[in-house]
Amino acid sequence: MRRIHAPADALYAAVVGLLGLIALAILVGPVLVVLAVSFTSEPSLRFPPQGFSLRWYAALIDPAQSGHIHEAALNSVTVALRAAGVATLVSGAAALWLRTRSGPAGRAVDLAFMSPLVLPMLSFGLAALILLTTIRVRPTLFWLSAGHLVVVAPYVLRTTAASLSQLGQPLLDSSASLGASRLYTFRRITLPIIAPGLAAGAFLAFMASMDNVPVSLFLSSARTDMLPIRLWGMIESSLDVRVAAASGVLVVSTTLLLLAMNRLVNLSRRISR
Amino acid sequence: MTAAASDLRAGAVARLRLSPPEWPLVAPLGLIFVGFFLAPLALLVWTSMHADAEMTRLGPESWMRFLGDPFYLKVAADTLLLGLKTVALTLVLGVAIGLIFLEASPAQRTALLFIIILPLLLSVVVRTFAWIVILGSEGVVSNAALALGLTSAPFSLLQTELGLIISLAQIELPLMLLPLLSVMGRIDPNLLDASRALGASRWRTLWRVILPLSAPGLTAGCLLVFASSTAAFISQSVIGGGRLIYMPLVIWQQSIVVYNWPFAAVVSLCLLISVLGVIGVIHWLGRRVRA
Amino acid sequence: MTRHLFNRRAVLGGAAAATGVALSGLPARASGDVIAAIYPGSWEEAFRSIVGPALTEASGVNLELDPLYAVDQIAKARAARGLAPFDVFVLDPGPAASGMEMGLYQPLDMSKLSNAAKLPQVFVDDFSIPVAAQVVGIAYNPTKVAKPAGWADLFKPEFASRLGLTGFQTTFGTTSLIEISKIFGGSETDVAPAMEKIKEILPQVAAVAQPSAMAGLFQQGQIDLMYTNTQTVATLKGRGVDIEFAVPETGAIAFVTTMHIVKDAENVENAYKYLDTVISAGVQDKLMQAPFNFIPVNGDVDLLDTLPMASLDEMNGFVRHDWTKINPLRPGWIEQFNREVAA
Repeated sequence: MRRIHAPADALYAAVVGLLGLIALAILVGPVLVVLAVSFTSEPSLRFPPQGFSLRWYAALIDPAQSGHIHEAALNSVTVALRAAGVATLVSGAAALWLRTRSGPAGRAVDLAFMSPLVLPMLSFGLAALILLTTIRVRPTLFWLSAGHLVVVAPYVLRTTAASLSQLGQPLLDSSASLGASRLYTFRRITLPIIAPGLAAGAFLAFMASMDNVPVSLFLSSARTDMLPIRLWGMIESSLDVRVAAASGVLVVSTTLLLLAMNRLVNLSRRISR
Repeated sequence: MTAAASDLRAGAVARLRLSPPEWPLVAPLGLIFVGFFLAPLALLVWTSMHADAEMTRLGPESWMRFLGDPFYLKVAADTLLLGLKTVALTLVLGVAIGLIFLEASPAQRTALLFIIILPLLLSVVVRTFAWIVILGSEGVVSNAALALGLTSAPFSLLQTELGLIISLAQIELPLMLLPLLSVMGRIDPNLLDASRALGASRWRTLWRVILPLSAPGLTAGCLLVFASSTAAFISQSVIGGGRLIYMPLVIWQQSIVVYNWPFAAVVSLCLLISVLGVIGVIHWLGRRVRA
Repeated sequence: MTRHLFNRRAVLGGAAAATGVALSGLPARASGDVIAAIYPGSWEEAFRSIVGPALTEASGVNLELDPLYAVDQIAKARAARGLAPFDVFVLDPGPAASGMEMGLYQPLDMSKLSNAAKLPQVFVDDFSIPVAAQVVGIAYNPTKVAKPAGWADLFKPEFASRLGLTGFQTTFGTTSLIEISKIFGGSETDVAPAMEKIKEILPQVAAVAQPSAMAGLFQQGQIDLMYTNTQTVATLKGRGVDIEFAVPETGAIAFVTTMHIVKDAENVENAYKYLDTVISAGVQDKLMQAPFNFIPVNGDVDLLDTLPMASLDEMNGFVRHDWTKINPLRPGWIEQFNREVAA
């Protein structure tokens, strides 16, 4: 029977393969360019790079030269962790609630929760600053994190809602009819199903916060220097190669983190077996 | 009426089934939303109702200026179109990656996921530089096309809508793929085998089994991509250049360069409303596909 | 599998920990601080490495820098009115005139600035002191194009096809477009002739870009001509970019970057100490050296011969502009530029 579809199936493989290759090229191309440039021995960003050296990595790591970059990176990571962490909890919970509200009201609430993603962040940043000063509050790291939280929460909501849609009511019903408590059902059924969505959302939220310029511009202060704003200045006025090296560090550390996590999970599996 | 009734019933059944109240689940996000988002939004609406840049008097002039000007209406339409085109490209490419992901081994899946999140690791600042390298004349794309004989002269995709959409696709693909794969990863492989065993071609399996089952992930991805690409000020202005004008650029110019906050607020609200409108339609389409 | 990558326990644990850390405030300010806005990039690097240590040494005051472009400083101060986000502005003439009009500065007491007398007095007023001069002209790549003689050359086919244009959102862009307009019969308040000319060459120009993209486009050879200031040219040259500065035959444009104390500033006394340090001969001399390439404003500093002028007195020979006349017109110009160049 399968032979009937042989030509169509071959076409399918060709189309999917070709599109997949294009997608991979688009995803990876710029990363390769930046990585290549980060190893240049030249004094400025240029492609193709001339010569190979680790000098820009050394310059990036050196506290004397780049101490303020480290500080800004730490601030950005702190804010992103807080914003993404809280967003994961509250948006995850809200997604559970939204699942049971399929009517127009539920849809309206859902759409409203998505709107921070759509409102231009520049306007949001300005409006938030006006509001804070109106109530005589000076922007601090707390308010900066809160501002980020609002604009990254929709990512978690969306990805979790997508995972939740696979959770059939019959599954919950059968769990309940078997006498499982709601907490037990949540832990053993709901959570495993939404975990990939939660994780994907948390990751998107974290990275969106790390890369946010407009909200930080208005809610940060001299004491809460943020990484993307600093990188922006470095590349605009002097094409500083440390910006590329910073990306290299991120890519390498993420790779290591993923490898380590994979190890850990595999290990725990072997132990439990 | 019937829809409303079934909603009511569903709500009643849900309330019966789940003994403790459910509203505490949504309360935290709701409170954060009201405090940190609705309040600034209200301020924005109030700002938009002023007639002049100094905000000395109320009046509809700022709204009239935007809505009554074909140039700004075209800018609004271009912005939404840019979002839709980006969604279309990321949708096609995203589904292709998803299909490869479905048939990949666990190790390959991990590698694929790593590649998918790579773009998020590049700061928008340096990503922009990379696209100048790739899309420019004598750039990677132009040289490749020359080598393959696809073109006879070097060309630049910088400052073109196509170049902008390609560069947006890079950063938007993860937004499409993460929700999509978190759903696709849970499709039962036996379903696909069954479909094949019943004599369905791979195309038919795609249309009848895989896509319907992935619809929630696809909808979520499309929403995120659309919202994020219409608001991507830095990519739009740096890769798109000065000749492609979208709403975020106008908002930046009006609020930051010439301090006309009422007009900036009007453009912001128009962007918000129109994008939410399109999102509503995508949502509705997603539900139709699933139904 | 998905779960290998995003181990759910790790993620949830991380989320819980992050919430636990909670959103806390900042420690109270030390008494010896001044918070100054500063342009991101080379200005910030320069002030961090030269002005900060000099200020601490001279008066024990600690310098905190808030990296913001001029227009962002005004927007932020306007939004935070009454609760100043920083103590000192650093601005180019356009935004400086806007801030003046909005009443964002406090009057300066020159008796508190020991170095004020050494500044060129034409640039000092009740609300501002100059801290650096800027000279704007044409930057070109000598390996790719001939040296342009003046603004009019940019509109010849061989130059236009290599030209990168920017609009009216920056000081250097606005003043350059005004100079171009003057060549073709316009004036400081009439940029219509420049718009006409730009429309004519639009199909040929290499790029119409945002200012922030210009350096990257130039470095990668996408454009070989742009209008910019001598400081940018010197900085890029120091980083190995093929770039030279050409003074247009009608004269280069000069203006000063000024500093102002914010109206409701918290650390007024320290702000004066900061201003005095910035304009001191020692600091100005260090800022003039590579890789920072500032044009100093303190009369005691001997200008390097690499700078576009031998002494500040020559500023009068450069083209200057009246921003109180330009500012009211600029919103209209920006909008018109959008309409004219829109694809």
